[in-house]
Amino acid sequence: MARSIIDPITRIEGHMRVEMEVENGTVREAWVSGGSFRGMEKVVEHRKPEDAAQIVQRICGVCPVSHNHASTIAAEKAYGIKIPNRARIIRNLIEGAQFLHSHILWLYNLAALDYVNPINAVTGNADVKLAYDIAQGGAVPELGVPLPAPLSVSSDLYEVSARLNKFASNGQLSIFSGNWFEAKDVDGGSAYHLTPELDLILTSHYLEALKYQARSSEIAGLLGGKMPHVMTIIPGGTAFVPTAQKLDDLWAMVNEVYDWVEKTLIPDTLALAVAYPEGLTWGGGCGRFGAWGVFERGSLAYNDRYMPAGVLATKGSLEVSDLDESLITEYVGRSWYEGEGTFTAPDFTTNPKFTEYDVNDRYTWCKAPAYDGKALECTSLSRVLVAYARGQQPEYAKKNAWMVEQVDNFLGAIAPVALAVGKTPLEAAVSMLGRTAIRQLETLYIAQLMKDWTAELIATVKGGSLEDIAAMEGMEAADFASTNMTDYFEKPTTDTGAGSGFWEAPRGALYHSEKVSGGKIDGYQIIIPTTWNLAPINQNGEHGPIEQALMDGCPVFDGTEGDLEMPINALRLIHSYDPCVSCAVHVTDVKTGKKFSTVTNPWGVK
Amino acid sequence: MEQETSTVDFGSMLEARGVSRRDFLKFCGALAVAAGLSQAAAPRVAIALEKSVIGAKEGGLFPVLWIEGASCTGCTESFAQIETPDVGKIVLELISLNYSDVLSAGAGYSVELAKKQTIESGSPYIVVYEGGITQGFGSNTLRVAMETGEEILCHAAEHAAAVVALGSCAVNGGWMAAYPNPAQATGVQAILKKHNIGTPVVNIPGCPANPEWLMSVLVQVLMMGGAEALVAGDVPAVVKTLGLDGEGKPQGIFGQTIHDNCERRGHFENGEFVYEFGSKEEELGYCLYPLGCKGPQTKSNCGVTMWNNRRSWCIQAGSPCLGCCEANPNDPGDNWVEVNTPFYERHRDLHIGDWFFQPTVVAGAITGIVALALIIHGFGMKKSGRTDGGAPFEQRRAWDVKNPDKSIGQYEYSIYEDNDPVVLQKAQQEIAKQYEQATEEVAEAAEAAAEIEEGR
Repeated sequence: MARSIIDPITRIEGHMRVEMEVENGTVREAWVSGGSFRGMEKVVEHRKPEDAAQIVQRICGVCPVSHNHASTIAAEKAYGIKIPNRARIIRNLIEGAQFLHSHILWLYNLAALDYVNPINAVTGNADVKLAYDIAQGGAVPELGVPLPAPLSVSSDLYEVSARLNKFASNGQLSIFSGNWFEAKDVDGGSAYHLTPELDLILTSHYLEALKYQARSSEIAGLLGGKMPHVMTIIPGGTAFVPTAQKLDDLWAMVNEVYDWVEKTLIPDTLALAVAYPEGLTWGGGCGRFGAWGVFERGSLAYNDRYMPAGVLATKGSLEVSDLDESLITEYVGRSWYEGEGTFTAPDFTTNPKFTEYDVNDRYTWCKAPAYDGKALECTSLSRVLVAYARGQQPEYAKKNAWMVEQVDNFLGAIAPVALAVGKTPLEAAVSMLGRTAIRQLETLYIAQLMKDWTAELIATVKGGSLEDIAAMEGMEAADFASTNMTDYFEKPTTDTGAGSGFWEAPRGALYHSEKVSGGKIDGYQIIIPTTWNLAPINQNGEHGPIEQALMDGCPVFDGTEGDLEMPINALRLIHSYDPCVSCAVHVTDVKTGKKFSTVTNPWGVK
Repeated sequence: MEQETSTVDFGSMLEARGVSRRDFLKFCGALAVAAGLSQAAAPRVAIALEKSVIGAKEGGLFPVLWIEGASCTGCTESFAQIETPDVGKIVLELISLNYSDVLSAGAGYSVELAKKQTIESGSPYIVVYEGGITQGFGSNTLRVAMETGEEILCHAAEHAAAVVALGSCAVNGGWMAAYPNPAQATGVQAILKKHNIGTPVVNIPGCPANPEWLMSVLVQVLMMGGAEALVAGDVPAVVKTLGLDGEGKPQGIFGQTIHDNCERRGHFENGEFVYEFGSKEEELGYCLYPLGCKGPQTKSNCGVTMWNNRRSWCIQAGSPCLGCCEANPNDPGDNWVEVNTPFYERHRDLHIGDWFFQPTVVAGAITGIVALALIIHGFGMKKSGRTDGGAPFEQRRAWDVKNPDKSIGQYEYSIYEDNDPVVLQKAQQEIAKQYEQATEEVAEAAEAAAEIEEGR
């Protein structure tokens, strides 16, 4: 038995540490720790909801739009505002742009270096001509099976190869510092399975991804003024008013991003799956999934959203239930806060108190949220599975048809591996590699939706008929009956109320809740996806989702002491959750005398 | 419209940032010295570096450690959006980014080792520090690799040629330092001062910082300062060559206000304003001043540099400036959130302890009484016939009269246009109501002040 530690976890957002007890080549127990406390909820108290919607974006520079959006929705619920239709579409587009940005950056520039070794393209003397052949569907004997789909080649591979050679001959390692590519598999072989040619092709995609994640952000910049931290999503609608020139730019950019995503992401994912199939056999986690829903349809109903809301509360079951705010609790007994209490949403009254790092006692700034008393995974996988489950329900079947079809294809593709290890395809999908791969289905879906929403926005600006516009999103004209179809902003008519914004960040379910009195915030609460996923041990002694996933057979090569310092599979697993740690740490101190008295849902129906 | 493909060569890129070829050669000479080459090798290195940006490179990359403090990663994210040159070029062909939470391939001890070796190498390196330093709980509010954020900054900064404090949080704690500053956040400069570390600090505020600003400063830190001045720790020389102002900010970027270079400035001069989000006036691109735009008091060249590959910027997209570049490195309390909220109003909130109020509450109350007295006096004069047909009030703004078709806003009722008793009564009632309200507010304010006084 030995300890293995990764601190800091890199290629994520924020500061995170993982400590593992390794036995016989797998992780026996794990503790994950969030390393930074900033205190957002306290800063937005006393300020206006409109200001809070801007300030809370600074929780996270990777998913600022989601925080902005969730806070804005909370304010709109508090003020009883139904936003105009055009504002909804513009906000969907800004959110979608951020999702594309985040997912592209995550896959290629964050996660991919766990599978792709750019240096190997040089030291392994990649044969560029052979690389072109492979990309067009040629055989890769080293992998044992053919590539499922041809790979895209948008860059000049000779030029990429020359750049890498020059970089390597200079000798400085820059972002490749650290010799991490020496990490080993459990059998002692290299943990990096790609041939030099595949490494070359995928490195070219790494470089292209830098451009396309930026282009996606640029869409958010066009509609939001700047990205990160967009400016135009405000309680009541949007400050952005489209002009012909802006719509023109929008149309060009959504098409440009779609074209690249469509031809690049899915084939690359399949190639990685072929090279690392064992990733489908471990890293399952708590097996319970939550999604609060994202991308509004005209009805603004949680379950109607393009990625719908729902909870899969039973491990291994696709039975979906509606989300219930009163079932959300937070426990602080293993975190650096005062006391050992469990608090019910949205009334969390906790104060920070650092003691020391001790995995047997308190070991993180992150609290332990629970849904119905148990750990809940909130990731892209959660969203896709909830959409898949909703798609089985007759009333939501049409709205989720695309996703159901794609997930069925995905499950079919991994069925052989699943059968070989005695699992159902759905069980295999809930794994390190399944979680990593399935995100690309969502990316493709959103890239397509961006084109649809752009068409819809143009139609509404041109004054298209209600029937046509409703049809563009699979709705009936009646669903838009009480909707303002022409404006961009609806002014609040009150300055007092309470509301919760259920939404999704690219990395999972997001919740902002506020109580407003006289135009000022009295209490503000946030629960972030990574808080769910990065949770420490809860009041029942149950580990958090990432900890459970690490303990679900994560292989660590422990042949020699030194290799415990490069537990690459643990890193792959953590990256599969796409953590966003500076988001995850939160605290609230409800002012004395402003306590909310009832237990379950003291701020009323939202 | 499809994106235009444009090839920007290195030379014109530098020129655009105010760097002449001569400066560049000087830099290359310094770089050559730093790399152990002779000054004579300078032209060769220059060619190699110039080529490096277009793809053919030889010679060294300048080591950079990018350290994240208490941050949202927004400044790294912002940096990742740069396209002139793009991040791939920067990290493969211009700098050796030996440590980055977001981009480093390695993790855990291996990247920590990369950082340590860079610090101990004896070669000059630059630290880019993103995020604030939170000092709460003995600085344990930020922990990485079993060190506190404060220790990490000090270790990295001590031997660095320069520290770039990137983003408003790094400059003075940013939003984290806003009342009640729960994590006791502050900026890089304050921490280095506290520990007597003399490494020069370049402050680049913004939330996030614009990647173009970092790029221009990186290029200038490397070139204009000269490696000698940096290595020798000749702070005055560095400050002079970088054109830093008294707060360590590059004057070229933060010397003018947003308002100075605003594309909507003409509408401000014309008195053409947006009074409501998403309105017709917004579509026309009128001035956002009435919606609380902080452009007039915020110093930054956003309107020139713009954002996201120069695609747009806050005001172009219809949002008033929130003043996110407001950051005084010597005072965490002077941060953009504290100074600029409420964002969409023209006055900042003041607070005495936990009691928040708008200056207009007090000012409005006082001026309300004075104004009312004057108005009553005016009507009195008019009624008693002591004025010749009444005072010549401006009934409509002169500009609106001249441009009847372009006038926006409405004149609710023209109390001064005629002596209609109904209208006059309505106006008087309105004034009385306002007076009552103002009196109440004054009483409330006095009461609250007394309470606070009692509490002490």
